[in-house]
Amino acid sequence: MQSLTRQTFIAGLTLAGLAFPAAAFAQGAAKVGAPAPAFQAVDVEGKTRNLSEFAGKTVILEWTNHDCPYVRKHYNSATMQTLQKDMAKEGIVWLSVISSPQGEQGHVDAAKAKELTVQRNAAPAGILLDPNSKVARAYGAQTTPHMYIIDPKGTLAYMGAIDDKPTSSAASLEGAKSYVRQAIAELKAGKPVSEASTKAYGCVVKYAPLS
Amino acid sequence: MRHGVRVIRDGDGIMRLHFGKRFLRGAVLAFGLAAPGLALAAESAAVTSPRVTATLLSSRDTVVPGERFKVALVQKLAPHWHTYWLNPGDSGEPTQIRWDLPAGATAGEIQWPAPKAIRVEPLVNFGFEGTVLLPLEITVPADAKPGENFALKAEATWLVCEKICIPEEGSFSLDLPIAAVSTVDQAAAARINAAIAALPKPAAFRGKLRDDAGKLVLDLPGLPAGVADLRFFPVSDTLIEHAADQPLTAGDKPFLTLTRSSAFKLEKPEVTGVLTFTETGSPRAVTIVADADAALMAAGGAAAPEARPAVVRIPMPAEGADLTLWAALAFAFAGGLILNLMPCVLPVLFIKALGFAQLAHRNRSEVREQGLLFLSGVLLTFMVLAGAVIALGALGSSVGWGFQLQSPPLVIGLAVVMVLIGLNLLGAFEIGTSVTGLGDGLASRGGRLGAFMTGVLAVVVATPCTAPFMGAAMGYAVTQPPVIALSVFMALALGFALPVVALSFAPGLLRLLPRTGRWMLVLKQAFAFPMFATAIWLIWVASVQSGPQGVLAALVAVLAAGFAVWLVGVTRGSFARRAFGSVLAALVVLGAGWFTVQNAIPGTATEARAGDIEAWSPERVAALQVQGKPVFVNFTAAWCITCIANERVALSRQEVKDAFARLGVVYLKADWTNRDSRIAKALAEQGRAGVPLYLFYPARKEAQAEILPQLLTVDGLIAAAERAAGRNAKTAALP
Repeated sequence: MQSLTRQTFIAGLTLAGLAFPAAAFAQGAAKVGAPAPAFQAVDVEGKTRNLSEFAGKTVILEWTNHDCPYVRKHYNSATMQTLQKDMAKEGIVWLSVISSPQGEQGHVDAAKAKELTVQRNAAPAGILLDPNSKVARAYGAQTTPHMYIIDPKGTLAYMGAIDDKPTSSAASLEGAKSYVRQAIAELKAGKPVSEASTKAYGCVVKYAPLS
Repeated sequence: MRHGVRVIRDGDGIMRLHFGKRFLRGAVLAFGLAAPGLALAAESAAVTSPRVTATLLSSRDTVVPGERFKVALVQKLAPHWHTYWLNPGDSGEPTQIRWDLPAGATAGEIQWPAPKAIRVEPLVNFGFEGTVLLPLEITVPADAKPGENFALKAEATWLVCEKICIPEEGSFSLDLPIAAVSTVDQAAAARINAAIAALPKPAAFRGKLRDDAGKLVLDLPGLPAGVADLRFFPVSDTLIEHAADQPLTAGDKPFLTLTRSSAFKLEKPEVTGVLTFTETGSPRAVTIVADADAALMAAGGAAAPEARPAVVRIPMPAEGADLTLWAALAFAFAGGLILNLMPCVLPVLFIKALGFAQLAHRNRSEVREQGLLFLSGVLLTFMVLAGAVIALGALGSSVGWGFQLQSPPLVIGLAVVMVLIGLNLLGAFEIGTSVTGLGDGLASRGGRLGAFMTGVLAVVVATPCTAPFMGAAMGYAVTQPPVIALSVFMALALGFALPVVALSFAPGLLRLLPRTGRWMLVLKQAFAFPMFATAIWLIWVASVQSGPQGVLAALVAVLAAGFAVWLVGVTRGSFARRAFGSVLAALVVLGAGWFTVQNAIPGTATEARAGDIEAWSPERVAALQVQGKPVFVNFTAAWCITCIANERVALSRQEVKDAFARLGVVYLKADWTNRDSRIAKALAEQGRAGVPLYLFYPARKEAQAEILPQLLTVDGLIAAAERAAGRNAKTAALP
């Protein structure tokens, strides 16, 4: 009986795989130099946020999952919080995005998300709850963390890793090059972003199945 | 919670597992009792979590100073969990090992098995499920002291994921006693060798990566027809979108269409990766190198490629991979023809020819019939050999021509065959319808079975030899689909059989031979000596492979074989006597056979180190090139007669040594006497399936090697050395 259900499940998965070729949605529309994909999501305060409301401001999207060891590396060492605060000082809007659906690692409700922010002394301007993984699909987010920078004109200026040390070991933070800081500094100086697209690293983003 | 196991979760959420000593000892003891005969020394204590059971496995129980041996990190994964390949795909991190080895010891890189694409919709990971062995090579320093322990210590970290990911780490340690003779742990070695055999082998062709309207196109010239389910796994994680489909466009110019990574970056003009596919239903994996075209390089932001030094080629059939089928067939045929002249083959064939001459005076049709029977013996034996090479290749084993000589018992078996033929030629024994067809004596009519068996035997005695032209053809054959590989082997067989068959069909040629007389008997006896010489050489090969035990085993086998044929000879007559003789002879042979297998264990000989010749490794070649030194690499094996001949006539000559010294050439030797996957891989990269192979690397970083002919000459070698050193003969001659 149990094996039968498992078979059915696997068959279902296979069918789902056939019906939606992976490439169709693994690759989001996000492309450096092109307008950043529009999104609409509810934040932890229950407000619906649109990308368009941040026109004229630089926006940073941070995909996160508080239980992911790679995310923990950046929060336990306070590097992520420091980065958030430094960006806030520059007038940059930092939005953390949580795309894990119900039942998957990293899924939180609004109350838990706020609690985590207090507990970790984090400083995002907002936290977007994306339990249907819609924003993640729009951007093609692959890992936690996965970082996106949108310039004041709404153009995607950076997408990729948070730094150049793709490991979960805390020791790697020392001497790591922050791609986010580098891109922001270059944008501020009016220069093109030298490394505008890097390979993100971390835990896989847990996607909600397409319904 | 099991007694003695502590799980520590640190600040990073990293699970660290520690075992109490008492628990370990208990577990090891229980394991040892449950599975007696398993050597515990060759596997470290396990590091376990609910997801992974990891151990460090060694192919040796004891090691000798200076030897290289294989170890593997074994990860046994719980169902649905995976660890990662070198490029983990859309997320993840590959397993890493940090070694803490005794001074002077070195550990090689992990030899990565072919990855699987593990879907985590809509993304994909590249990694391993089930049980994975990550093999690598350890070198024991030459000054290690016998009697002490060789302590292998490793810290490994790996990320294990189902949907959620857990970074884990473990400490592994193995103490291997240093001894005068190394002991192979058969069970562990078998597991590691199987893992190494399953590693992806270099493809016989180079790919080409180009841009096609924003898509990446990977041209795969030389991709065998009829393959399916192709997937390209790049080593670089910034080349392609990993989860995207990779449609194959088949035809005479097959290519894969890939999707450019959003973080596209090309660091080198050479793109490497693994190509997995199924061929006639069975899974295959090859490593592939593709050259990115200039437009793509510019898009990838990499510096313009340095003008790559063109591969210098001496007009010799050097690169199997470049051969067309027809050329390979022609080379194989020519190689087979030349094989007839090899010292171990010639006596057998010459005697057969003399037999024909004898017979021709009486019955021409029978000579023709025997010629054809000889041909079928040759063809069948080559077919069996080709089948073995192809089957082992399909299993992922890196074998080449001469692979059978990597097994000491087979080498010894061949030595016994040589001795028996020699004894027979001398007339020390006669067998009714002799296996060899020689015992019939020259005057009697050779039996049909005899003619067939002569064909079989001729191929068997020819196996230690590589004739010119053969290397390239064999190299081509083993990289091709079975039908083509078989065709090449058949061409070789036809070339090999041609002289004898032609003789049987051309009465004119036979008439040229003098009439039977005493000279024939003398010649027959004289031919015994090349056979004995071949036996001596084979026993020397066994000594290199298995050390003193190998020599003992070989000589015991020869003694037993001689005794057995003598016994059968003297117990002729009544049925009872014959039965007694046969049974006793069979017992002697069985006993000696058992003794041989017990004692002739590969890899127990210490590596012979000759003066200023260094052991080869790809890293050493690269390092020397960076230092601006020309490098000569001699891919050889004790069982390769052509290799030894080249060493005698060219490599060990004083003029060559002087030239090498003058030009600062570093001489590296890759010894393939025993199986070595790295050497097999390097051979395959040059389109070869066997030795000899001689490469001259110019004294420039990453410059391509020049392939020298299979038959070396002093002048050719010195000229090649001068080219590699960047000098021509004239300037080098100036004071």
